[in-house]
Amino acid sequence: HLFGFSVAAMNSVGEACTELKREYDQCFNRWFADKFLKGERGAEPCADSFRLYQRCVQKAIKDKDIPVDGLDFMGPNKDKPDG
Amino acid sequence: MKIWSTEHAFSYPWETVIKAAMRKYPNPMNPHVVGVDVLDRRLDAEGRLHSHRLLSTEWGLPAIVRAILGTNHLQTYVKEHSIVDPEEKKMELCSTNITLTNLISVNEKLRYTPHPDNPEVTILTQEAIITVKGASLSSYLEGMMARRMSANARKVTLTHIYIIA
Repeated sequence: HLFGFSVAAMNSVGEACTELKREYDQCFNRWFADKFLKGERGAEPCADSFRLYQRCVQKAIKDKDIPVDGLDFMGPNKDKPDG
Repeated sequence: MKIWSTEHAFSYPWETVIKAAMRKYPNPMNPHVVGVDVLDRRLDAEGRLHSHRLLSTEWGLPAIVRAILGTNHLQTYVKEHSIVDPEEKKMELCSTNITLTNLISVNEKLRYTPHPDNPEVTILTQEAIITVKGASLSSYLEGMMARRMSANARKVTLTHIYIIA
């Protein structure tokens, strides 16, 4: 810990989702470091753990009434996800 | 409205810094990020990785502001969109708050690129635009925010070093 916040692991917005999030994060971080940044093209192989994690997070977002879709979010560029 | 910008140089290659940046949230704007969730992630046709994340943050506010706002805990949610381009070695990140928008709006942009002359060094450019709504509180809060960010700018550098090391 440094400056009073955790460096190692962040929680999920849904307390019940934190474990699912860590499983997904672990899968993603491995792919990101070992494949993606090394220039390997190909999809991220973490779809299954992402799906489970998302089901949990989306429920938490709804329960807590967090307006994730309520804002026209301006990203670094404006192209929208196409699916 | 206050605009704040700064630049940091990290003595590490771009890949190392990006890995650290993806794993946690070393953001001087949000020193109390308590949660990070990925909402959407995809590769685009150019092979760039887009991530949409939801950050749960808690702002520590001075007593006077807490009294005015009537809350101790100021939990705010921030949405962030990042793009990592592994070929161009560029990571760009934009974030904006999605709650308390009637009081304050914080828009931030970060960009990580390799130093043009030294691949062992990574440059982080940060820019933030803060708008506090409501005239009476505005200048006080904006000033406080700008001071806090200047103070936290140093922390970010140290945090990065800590994670990488």
